[in-house]
Amino acid sequence: MRLYDLASTIRSKNAGVNQITFDIIFPDRKTYERAVRSGAITRDSIAKLYKIPESRISDFVTFEVGNAIKFTIYRLRPSGSPGDWDILGCQQYGPLLDLEIP
Amino acid sequence: MKQNLRVMISTGHLGTAPSSPESYYRGLETNPDYVVADGGSSDPGPVYLGEDINLGQFAREEMELFVPSTRKKGIPLIIGSAGDSGSNRGVDEFVGMVKEIAREQRLPKFKVGYFYSEVPKALVKSKLGKSEGLGGFPALTAEEADNATRIVAVAGAHPYIKLLDMGADVIIGGRSGDIAWTAGPCIRAGFPEGLAYHMGKMIECASLVAEPFMGKETVIGTITKDDIRITPYHPDQRCTIGSVAGHSMYERETPYFEHALGGTLDMRACRYEQADARTVRITGAKWLLAKELRVKLEGAKKIGERYMGFVGVRDPHVVKNIESAIEWSKTAVARRFPDTKYELYFHVFGRDAILKELEPVKAQPAHELGLVVEGVAATDALAEKITDFATRMFFLSRIPGVKGTAGTAATTKKTMKSSPGYMWNVNHTIPIDDPLELFPVHMTQAGV
Repeated sequence: MRLYDLASTIRSKNAGVNQITFDIIFPDRKTYERAVRSGAITRDSIAKLYKIPESRISDFVTFEVGNAIKFTIYRLRPSGSPGDWDILGCQQYGPLLDLEIP
Repeated sequence: MKQNLRVMISTGHLGTAPSSPESYYRGLETNPDYVVADGGSSDPGPVYLGEDINLGQFAREEMELFVPSTRKKGIPLIIGSAGDSGSNRGVDEFVGMVKEIAREQRLPKFKVGYFYSEVPKALVKSKLGKSEGLGGFPALTAEEADNATRIVAVAGAHPYIKLLDMGADVIIGGRSGDIAWTAGPCIRAGFPEGLAYHMGKMIECASLVAEPFMGKETVIGTITKDDIRITPYHPDQRCTIGSVAGHSMYERETPYFEHALGGTLDMRACRYEQADARTVRITGAKWLLAKELRVKLEGAKKIGERYMGFVGVRDPHVVKNIESAIEWSKTAVARRFPDTKYELYFHVFGRDAILKELEPVKAQPAHELGLVVEGVAATDALAEKITDFATRMFFLSRIPGVKGTAGTAATTKKTMKSSPGYMWNVNHTIPIDDPLELFPVHMTQAGV
C-alpha cells in the first residue's frame, strides 16, 4: 500500500534554520504499528529515498503517543540562502507519498 | 490563586494574512484572561532580519482588530517577536502602531510595555569562546558576527512577566521563543512551568493545532495546576488527540524536548485525552531548569543584490539536454564577467527546483520546464546585468541537434528585481547571567 493511503498527515517543515523535519502521522495505533513493523520507513530507507548519507539525518524517532514517525535532516545551506527554493521546507515531503508499505 | 487561566490566540504569524474576525470574536466573548499573538519567526528566511524589513502586509489590520477589542474588555494583549524579526525597529513600529490606533479610536489611556532584543556585537564577540552553534552551525567567529547586519537574542518568558508586574496592558516584545509569551502570564499566575510552556507550544500556531487544517482561526488554551486544555473556536474545527499530539512535534527536531531560555520543556511523559468533542486535555509536561543560562542568537549577512529571470522550455530535445543549456549559460556568464564576484542559481521547475539534491525523480523531467535564474552580485546594476544575461542565454543556447532556430526558450517579462540575498550566519547560543540582561524593558502610555 502507498504511504499516501495509510497516513493521515505527511508533512515537512523547518526545524530551525538549518534542519527540516518530516512528520508521518497515522490515523490510529494499528496503522502506525503496521507501518513501523513493515520496516519500510527507517533511517536507511529514508537515506536511500533522498539519496543522502545517514549522517545527514540528525534524528529519527517512532513517536507512539502521536502514532507518528518523525525524522529530521540537515540542510546543505541555511533556509532562505540564495539558491534555496523552499524556505519553509514545507514541500520536501513529496517523495514520501509513493513509499510502498508492505 | 485563580483556578485556571485562559489564553486566546488567533494567528501563528501576525500580519501575514488577517485573523478571521468571526472565531476571534467568538473566543473573545468568553472573556479569556489574555490575548496573545506571534508577531514573527525566523521561518520566512534571513532577509527580514538582515534587511530589517516587515513581511506581514496585514499587521495594521490585525492590530486594529486586537487593540480596541481587548482594551474595551480590559484584557491584556501580548505580541511577541514584533515586526517579524523582533528587531528594535520592528518593536518601535508596533509600539507606534498601538499608540496611533489608540489615538484614532480615542481609547482611554493605557500602559504599553515593550522590550528590545538586539544585542551589541561587542557583547557577542566577548563571548565567542563560549558560543555553541545550533543545528550543525560551526563555531561563531568575530568575522561572522561582524558580517551580520544585526543580531537579535531570543527572549524567554521573563521580560513578559516583568512587564506584566509593571502593569502593562499591552506588551510588544522583541524576538522571543514562540512559547514564551503564553508561558509568561501562566507562570506569573502561579501555574506549573512545565504546563505553562507546553501550553505555549500547543497554541503558538493558533488553529494549526486543530483539524481540519485551517489557518488564522482562534483557539484558547486553558491551564490549571494539573492540566492544559486546548479548544478551537471555529465551529467546524475540533482538537483531537491526533491533531494535538501531532502539533506537539511540529517544526521541531524532536517530539520530546523544546529548549527555551532558562530550561527545557520535557514532553516525554505527556498524555493526551479527549475531554469533550472539541477539546483535548494534556498532562505530564515537565520543565527542566537549565544548569547554565544560554540564550539563542540570530543574525544574517548580506550576500548581495538580487534579480530573477524566468524562461520556459517546451522543445523535448532541449528538455532532454537542459543540463547542457545550463552549462552553456554558466560558461557564457563566466566568460563575459571574468574577475567578478557573483552567485548564479538555476531553479528547474518540472525537474528538481524544490528538492534540488534530494529529488529522487530528477531523471524524469516534465514535458515542459520553467527555469528561474537567480543572480546575486555586489551592486544592483551588476546583479541585473548578470541575471538578465544568464537568462537570455537559454534563448540562445547552442545544443547540438536542435531543430528550432528561432529561440531555444520561451521568454516573457523583464528580469525582475528581488530582495537582496541574505544568509543566516548567526544561529548560536551564548551564556548569560540574568534572563533579562539582554532584554531591557520599557513602559509608555497610549490612549487619550
